[in-house]
Amino acid sequence: MKRYAMVIDLRRCIGCDACMVACKAEFDVPLGVFRTWVPYKVVGKYPNVRKMFLPRLCNHCDDPPCVRACPVGATYKVEDGGFVLQRYERCIGCKACMASCPYNARFMLPKHRTYTDITRVVDKCTFCHHRVTQGLVPACVQTCVGRSRIFGDLNDPASEVSYLVSTQSTQVLRPEEGTKPHVFYIGADRNHTEFGRKIYDPQDVMDAERAVFNKNHI
Amino acid sequence: MGDYNVFHNMPWSGSYAIYFFVIGISAAMFFFSALSWYRPEFQTIRKPAFYISFVLLACGGLLLINDLTQPLRFLNIMNPAYLNLTSPLAWGGLNLVSFGLVSVAYFVMMRKNDEAMSRKLAIVGALLALGLPIYTGFDLTVHQNRPVWNTPLMPVLFVALSILSGAAVATFIAKDKNLLVMLRRFMLWSAGAVAAMLVSLLGTTAYGGSGSELTFMFMTSGTLGAIFVGLGILVGTVAPIAVLLTSYGRQQSGMMTAGALLLVGGIALRYSILIGGQIVQTYF
Repeated sequence: MKRYAMVIDLRRCIGCDACMVACKAEFDVPLGVFRTWVPYKVVGKYPNVRKMFLPRLCNHCDDPPCVRACPVGATYKVEDGGFVLQRYERCIGCKACMASCPYNARFMLPKHRTYTDITRVVDKCTFCHHRVTQGLVPACVQTCVGRSRIFGDLNDPASEVSYLVSTQSTQVLRPEEGTKPHVFYIGADRNHTEFGRKIYDPQDVMDAERAVFNKNHI
Repeated sequence: MGDYNVFHNMPWSGSYAIYFFVIGISAAMFFFSALSWYRPEFQTIRKPAFYISFVLLACGGLLLINDLTQPLRFLNIMNPAYLNLTSPLAWGGLNLVSFGLVSVAYFVMMRKNDEAMSRKLAIVGALLALGLPIYTGFDLTVHQNRPVWNTPLMPVLFVALSILSGAAVATFIAKDKNLLVMLRRFMLWSAGAVAAMLVSLLGTTAYGGSGSELTFMFMTSGTLGAIFVGLGILVGTVAPIAVLLTSYGRQQSGMMTAGALLLVGGIALRYSILIGGQIVQTYF
């Protein structure tokens, strides 16, 4: 049985956001919501400062809380491959899966979309299930200019992800939640990936940005 | 992280708190109506309590359906092929529908003056009514990543809040002296239980790790401070307990004052707990 995983080498990420664009193009992801996103944080002390990028996506957990939380089985895990996927036609829009996801990987599709009538249901990254089952890698991996994102079968000892996970020091996000995530980071610093005190007193500009950002949300 | 250029929304908005509030009162009012078959003090409010319960149940059901982004698909919860029993929402949906059906049957039997059947339905309905605050508590408890929510206290707290809010509403329709004595006890004990649970909740939240600690800060000295501490704890829990302990609190007007304060506290606590558990996550 296959178990797909992604390794993201943060030492190689330059924050070009090409992965976000590739994902948007692959799935016609609407404005204001993302299947993958690359948040950043300025770390260090002047003059030794840098931008730390942390590409994010659904972690395709081995023990996904979203699957447990959905009352109608609209989200499910494909055992062969470990993909966590959505059944749009079943989703009632209760957002229990969104509440249960520790990674904010899920979002509500807006009311209006141009090319499809899949609206007002929860959506998320699929690890590009449609591409992977055709022998391709996910769109974000395909497009990553720095080869920061590496994708493959963790159960295949010859795969690059197996090699990286077994030989490099890797981290997962929020391991304390017990979700067994399958997105591994090389070079992630827990001091920066966890909640910081700064959020208690967010800058006003963030609220203004958030208001603009949320215009397209239901 | 704080510097993120992508923002996340709270999945569950404040309207869920209104749902928790009305469904809690509905459950407690049915319980009081059911109790009337076994305790003579409650006989005078048997019908009005049931009518209030039923109207609030209908309102709660509509609120819940309206909160779905696909309202017409609420029937999916009734579809055995779709039903996912690991989700408390699935149990909640079944509980809600069963409670509605038992309420209708109870109403019919009450109208027919069939005491034997009404008594049986009162017990079944009371158990289903108890399930409503329990399931709403579990709705929050099961999310292991959410500070404040993820505590075994939550279902018990919601049961106490339900009894408290129901008793508060009942003081406005009660006329019998003995009933008022009972309602005062209900309010006092359930408010006391809520106060004790809040102390535990605040303690575990303050010392529960970085996310929990930040949530504690948001709920006490932050954006939710006025609602949670001001309205929820001081105005809605401590003040009514104090009023009920005075001689004024033994009169109906005093009980009604305490009841009104408890209702304010009931909605404020539910709202701040609901929103409080989601603030920090929006920055992750």
